[in-house]
Amino acid sequence: MKRTLIGLFFILLAVWISAVGFRPVAEAGVREIRIADGKGDWGYPNPYRHYPRGPGYVRMSLVFDTLIWKDQKGYVPALAESWSYDPASMAFTFKLDPRAKWHDQTTLTAEDVAFSIDYFKKHPYRWISVDHVDRAVVKDAQTVVIHLARPYSPFLSDIGGTMPILPRHIWSRVDDPKNFNDPQAFIGSGPYMFKDFNKAQGTYLYEAFPDYYLGRPKADRLIYVRSGKPLVSLSQGQVDLANIQPDMAEPLKKKGLVIIRDERGWSKKLMINHKKAPLDQKVFRQALAFAISQREIIDKAHRGFATPASYGLLSIDHEMYNPRTPTYAFDPAKSRELIASLGFERGPDGTFRKEGRPLKLEVLASNVTVAGESVADRDGEIIKKQLGEVGIEVDLVHLEQATTDSRVKSWNFDLAISGHGGIGGDPRILNEMIASQYGAGSVNSARYDADPRLNELLEAQMAEMDPARRKEIVFEIQKVYAEDLPAVSLYYPDNLSAYNPKKGVVWFYTRGGISKGIPIPQNKMSLIK
Amino acid sequence: MKILDGKQSGLVWAYFVAGLLMVYLSYSLPGLLPGDFVTAMYAGSHVALNADQEAELRAQYTEQTGFGRYLFDLVTLKWGYSYAFLAPISELILETLPWTLLLMGGAHLISMFFGFIAGVEAAWRRGSLLEKACVGPMTLLEGVPEICGGVLFLLVFALYLGWFPAAGAETAYAEQSGLEWVADVGHHLALPLATLVLAYLPGNFLLARASVVLVRQAQFVQTARAKGLPPWRVRYVHAARNALLPMVTRFGLRLAFMVTGALVVETIHSYPGLGTLLFKAIAMRDLPLIQGIVLFSSLTVLMINLGLESLYRRLDPRVKHAS
Repeated sequence: MKRTLIGLFFILLAVWISAVGFRPVAEAGVREIRIADGKGDWGYPNPYRHYPRGPGYVRMSLVFDTLIWKDQKGYVPALAESWSYDPASMAFTFKLDPRAKWHDQTTLTAEDVAFSIDYFKKHPYRWISVDHVDRAVVKDAQTVVIHLARPYSPFLSDIGGTMPILPRHIWSRVDDPKNFNDPQAFIGSGPYMFKDFNKAQGTYLYEAFPDYYLGRPKADRLIYVRSGKPLVSLSQGQVDLANIQPDMAEPLKKKGLVIIRDERGWSKKLMINHKKAPLDQKVFRQALAFAISQREIIDKAHRGFATPASYGLLSIDHEMYNPRTPTYAFDPAKSRELIASLGFERGPDGTFRKEGRPLKLEVLASNVTVAGESVADRDGEIIKKQLGEVGIEVDLVHLEQATTDSRVKSWNFDLAISGHGGIGGDPRILNEMIASQYGAGSVNSARYDADPRLNELLEAQMAEMDPARRKEIVFEIQKVYAEDLPAVSLYYPDNLSAYNPKKGVVWFYTRGGISKGIPIPQNKMSLIK
Repeated sequence: MKILDGKQSGLVWAYFVAGLLMVYLSYSLPGLLPGDFVTAMYAGSHVALNADQEAELRAQYTEQTGFGRYLFDLVTLKWGYSYAFLAPISELILETLPWTLLLMGGAHLISMFFGFIAGVEAAWRRGSLLEKACVGPMTLLEGVPEICGGVLFLLVFALYLGWFPAAGAETAYAEQSGLEWVADVGHHLALPLATLVLAYLPGNFLLARASVVLVRQAQFVQTARAKGLPPWRVRYVHAARNALLPMVTRFGLRLAFMVTGALVVETIHSYPGLGTLLFKAIAMRDLPLIQGIVLFSSLTVLMINLGLESLYRRLDPRVKHAS
C-alpha cells in the first residue's frame, strides 16, 4: 500500500513537471503566425488537390497568386499591375509585374498566363470557367491579352481574381494533374512556399518567400493547426487567429484580442422541392414565407446573433443588393389565407386538409458547414412549430449531412434546411443557386427553371459587360426571385473571428469575400506590407 | 512443445473463416452508405457543378472492383488510395496509428494497472470504511460519460488554469528534439489521457474487486496465509492471480474498440487518431479509406482474440478447450 502511494506520488510529480517545467518556447527570432480551424485538413494546397471548399482554396492561394486580388476595399493589383478592357474587341489586357517570379526563382511571364488558360481548358479547375475565353495572346513578356469568345461578365472576378497562374515550365509535362505528387507541384508565385501538410494532425506549414514581388511577407512561418476549442487556444496564446462563436467575443476582448466581424456573406436557406404539389404553386411557397418568422428563429436558436435575410438571395451588404426586393413580414393570418385559396380547408384541430388528407410536409435537417466549421442545426424545431401554428403538419427528420444532400439532389424531399456562402461575391452566384444549367450539382441550388422571365434575366446578366446595366438586371433578378421563391432565405449568422494584435498582423474580412465569396478573414494581403 | 495442438489449429481455421467474412463485410458495407464521394465533396461546396461536370467526376470515382480483385490486392499489399487525400491508405493508417496506440493503449494500461491494484486492496479490506468509501464513488464515476470528464478537464486545466493545451498532439512544427519533444507530446497527452483513464478506471476497479472477493475465502488462500507468506505475496501472487483472467479478457475486448473508443475524447481535444480519421472518411464517403480502416480494425480484433485464447492457457493452466 505504501509503495503504491509512493509510486502514485512520483507519477503526479512527473505530470506536474511536464505541465509547468518543460513548456516549449518558440525560438527567439522566428516570427510565426498560427491559425486555428476546426476541421484541420482541406487537402494539399495546389489547384488540383485542395478540397472544393473555401478554406481549401485559401490555403492554395497562399502559394499560387492570381492576376488580381481583393483587399478590404476592392480589387488590387497582384500579378497584374494594371488591366483594362476593350469592349470593341471583347478583350482584357493585363500588364504583369516584372518583379514577379516563381518560388524556384524563374521569372513569371505572360507565357505562363496563356499556358494556364490553355491548361485549364484541357484539365478543368472547377472554381473557374474558361469556356468563354477564345484565346490568350502574348504581346510581350509582360503583356497578355485575353480575348473572349462570348461576353462574360464574371470575367474579372473569375479569371482575374480566382484563377491561379501555373508555371509553364513545370506543368507543361504533366498529363495527370490530380496525381502529380512531386514537390514541384507546389511551386507557385505567392507569398508563401508550401513546406508540409500533416494529414493525421491536420496541420500545414508554410515558409515566407523572401523574393515575393510585393515585398517580403511579415511572418517567416505560417502554421495552420486544428483546434476544436478556439476560445481556449486563443486565450492561451497558442494560436493567433481563429473563427469564434459570438458568445466568445467578450471574454476574448478582455484578454486583449481584437474581434472582427464579417459582412453578411453566408446565409441559411430553406430549400423547397418545387416539383412536388403543393410546393409547385408560387402562392403556397409565399404562404410558407409568411408563416416563418425570421426574427423568432434568430432569437430562439441563435440568441440574437444573426440578421434576417433578404428574400432575393444576394446579401444585403452586396454592392448590387436591391433594397426594394419584396419581403414577407411574419403574418400567419395572411399565410392561412393563401393556403385556403388553394383549396385547403382547416380541420377542427387547425391543420389544413384537402380531400380528407392532412397537409403534411417533411423537413430535412443536418449539420451544416458554416465558414468551414460544422454546426448542428437548431432551426428545424422552430420552423416546425411556426408551420404547425399556421396549420401545416411538419415531420422533422435529422440526418447525416451527406445523406441529406443525396436526398435533396435526387428530389426525394419536401423541405430541407441548408445554407451557403458566396452571397457577397460576384452575382454569378445567382445563376448557380437558381438555374439547373449552372448548379445542378449543388445541393444549395434551387434548380428552378420554371419561370422563363427569370431564365432570360439570368442569361442576360452573365453576358452584360457594362457594370451599370448589369446592376439593373441583377436588381430585377432579385425582385423576380423573391416573388417566385423557389427557396426561402432565412438569416445571416454573425460571423466573427478573433486575432492577437501583438503579432503585428491586422486581419480583415475581404469585401465580397475572398475570390468567389469565401467569408473567412485569412486574406494574404494582411501578411504583406 | 507444440505451439498449437489439434483443437487449437481447428480454432485458427475458424478464425481464418471469420477473417474472410470480415474482409467481405468491410468491402461491401461502406458501399451501401447513401450518397457518394462527389456528393459529399461538391454538393455543398463553393464550386457549383453543372450536371455534365458532376457526371464526369462521378465516373472517376465509382468503379468498385470485384471482391476477388479486392482480396488479391489486399494480399499483395496494394491497399489503394484515399479519394480525398490522394495518399496510400497504408500511409494514412500508419501515420495515425501511433497516436491512437499512445492514447488508448496508454489509457488502458494505466487504468488497468491502477484499477487492478485498487480493486485487490479494496477487496482485501472488504467491509471496512475505506472500501465502502471507494466503491460508492467509483460506481458513480462509472456512470459519468467521457464527454463530461473531458469538457470539465478542459475548462479547469486548460481555460482557467492554463496548465495544459487545448488541442493537438504536439506543438505543430516546433522543431524540438529528443527530450523536449517527448515532454511536449506528454504535455498535450495529459488531458485526453486523464479523461480516458478516469472513464476506464472504475470499471476495472469494480471488476477486480468482484473477482478477488470471490477467491478471498478459498482454501488455498488460507493455506498461503498459514504458510506465513508476506501479506502482499498472498494477495497478489496467490489470490489476485486467479482474478487475472477476467481482467485480461476485459483488456483484450476493450482494446478491440481501439479505433472508435476514443472518438469522443479525440474530437473534444482535437487529438489525431484512427477514430477521427474514420469519422471524417465516412462524412466524406471516402470509400477506400473507410474500407481500409474497417478492415484493419476488424482484423486487429480477430488477432487480439486469437492471442487471448493462447494467453488463457498460460495464465491459468486449468483452462482446457472443450473436447
